[in-house]
Amino acid sequence: MPALQLALHFVRRDIRNRYLGSFSGGAWALLQPLIQLAVYGFVFVYVFKARVPGADAPGYVPFLALGLWPWVAFSEGVARAATAIQDNAALIGKVALPREVLVFAAVAASFLIHGIGFCAIALALSLFGTPLDLLMLPVALGGFVQLFVLALGVAFLLAAIQVFIRDLAPALPQLLMLWMFASPIFYARETLPERYQGWLDLNPFTHYAELFRALLLHSGTVTVSGQLWSLLVAALLFALGYGVFRRLAPHFEDFL
Amino acid sequence: MSEPLLVEARGLSKSYPLVFRSRDRARALWQLLSGRGHAQSTTVLRDVDLQVRRGESLGLIGENGAGKSTLLKLLTGVLTPSTGSVAVHGRVGALLELGAGFHPEYSGRDNIALSAALYGLSADEVRGKLPEIVAFADIGSYIDEPVKHYSSGMVVRLGFAIVAALHPDLLITDEVLAVGDESFQKKCVRWMEDYLAGGGTLILVSHSMYHVQKLCRRACWLRHGEVAAAGEVFDVTQAYLAYQERKSAAAAPTREGVAGQEFHLLELFLNDDASGAPLVLDRGAGLRARVRLHARDGRAPVAMFGIVRADGTPVYGVGSDMDGVTLTRESDNVYTAEIEFPELPLLPGSYALRAHALDPEGVRLFDTLERGVSIRGESREFGLVRLRHRWIAREATADARSVRA
Repeated sequence: MPALQLALHFVRRDIRNRYLGSFSGGAWALLQPLIQLAVYGFVFVYVFKARVPGADAPGYVPFLALGLWPWVAFSEGVARAATAIQDNAALIGKVALPREVLVFAAVAASFLIHGIGFCAIALALSLFGTPLDLLMLPVALGGFVQLFVLALGVAFLLAAIQVFIRDLAPALPQLLMLWMFASPIFYARETLPERYQGWLDLNPFTHYAELFRALLLHSGTVTVSGQLWSLLVAALLFALGYGVFRRLAPHFEDFL
Repeated sequence: MSEPLLVEARGLSKSYPLVFRSRDRARALWQLLSGRGHAQSTTVLRDVDLQVRRGESLGLIGENGAGKSTLLKLLTGVLTPSTGSVAVHGRVGALLELGAGFHPEYSGRDNIALSAALYGLSADEVRGKLPEIVAFADIGSYIDEPVKHYSSGMVVRLGFAIVAALHPDLLITDEVLAVGDESFQKKCVRWMEDYLAGGGTLILVSHSMYHVQKLCRRACWLRHGEVAAAGEVFDVTQAYLAYQERKSAAAAPTREGVAGQEFHLLELFLNDDASGAPLVLDRGAGLRARVRLHARDGRAPVAMFGIVRADGTPVYGVGSDMDGVTLTRESDNVYTAEIEFPELPLLPGSYALRAHALDPEGVRLFDTLERGVSIRGESREFGLVRLRHRWIAREATADARSVRA
């Protein structure tokens, strides 16, 4: 599989590129979401006095961590992949390579880094006494794989469109921020007014935040139909994104 | 010609969309997604058919902007043709542009790994080939420095070394060789000759007719995105050079200015032909050059003939005064000088014959006429001319004999 080898090479290269020339190197990968968690934890727990609703509710920090880490993997992967084609214009114009590899590498590198971070934080939390169901961690990683497919679909779509419409990249951080607050990452579904709770199902990321909490924290539940539905959404978005990408890929060179 | 087809292109065309504003880009996106063609585009390559069999060598020639690089990019799959199809059977090694595919921040070694991965080599294969590549590139400790610190010659060295180590079925190179220094160019040309002798296939783009004629058996001349001529390398390069000659003749100032001078040249005949088109000779054939000179005051001028290689390197020059020859007087003001080079010892390649008119003292140069001369044939010898030589076989010395015993 030369394409797979090439993809792995680009994943390595992507990871190296991120930390090339930074002092802490790869440690930064773990540090960044950790700092993010600390800041959010402080603001929400000590300033806003946020709590997870329910009688036997878990602490806010583990609750936040399990939703935040997958989001960071997802949003960072999508944001980086969106400009992957444009950033590698020099390579695309001179070397024949499957363009999919570039998008794949950007998303895969994010998921690899933050997937490891997710495991590490889960272990760390349980060491500090949070009752996490670590036996479910492999199942949770399966959920990560499904989220990866969803991210790939979105990334392919955005990367292809970005070649033609350059406004996408500057708008994307704002859109992702909006998406983050529209997902139950900082809050639980139950915190919302009753009539808005159903709306969360329109957001494909909702399922993942709730899935990881249900699996590891036993906080909330995920229905079988909800799981199947999210699987279908991920598959459909992947098909759409990949289809659009394949259709536009032969013309990238003309517009870069 | 029973060798299998390695490259087959049919009806190849490429047009680039005309997009100036972002609104055009959005419209183009919509047209591509909905499946309707572009409204406006410029065509850079039109209806090109190309077939290359295994073991062939093809030179692509043409002016800047004729579509040579676009054609190569289509063949390597970097670009997608607007219409037509390309099929390439086998591993392609391509040197398209200076430093193509190199990451400036990475060291030479890392870039070797990247390029090799792009060519589909596994990490183990790369490790095996690394010493060979480093040795061929011969850039010393720079191999561990970031590529951004390289000179352009070093980039070419590294690029060529990688391609050479891959032993591709088809080697495609654009005008990159011109950047390397003389010794590296020679090394590359030698490598390509060995590669061709070993059954390799080559597509070469070059403005150096010398390289094209040296390395290629066939040539294809692109003009404004269309094939102007294709076939045997000498025929095509001659046609191209003649076309260039006509173009520069049309652009050059007329020779009326020199007519008022004391001495000027009227006509130059090469082997009794005054057409002005480059002359094609077989290797070892004779060359006669005749020139008619005009002298305003009737004094006999000095005529000089010289041969230079196409790039201007002088090969030989001689004047009528040096040999003590007086020119034949045709009329009061017109003289004729004629010289013959029997069995011209020039090696195959492109040359030019120059005729000069000098004053009777042989001091001041008044006028020059030039015409291309191509020597047809193949040779693995180096240089410009064949020097008379013989190999000397000696009896082994007593010392050598005793060592062998």
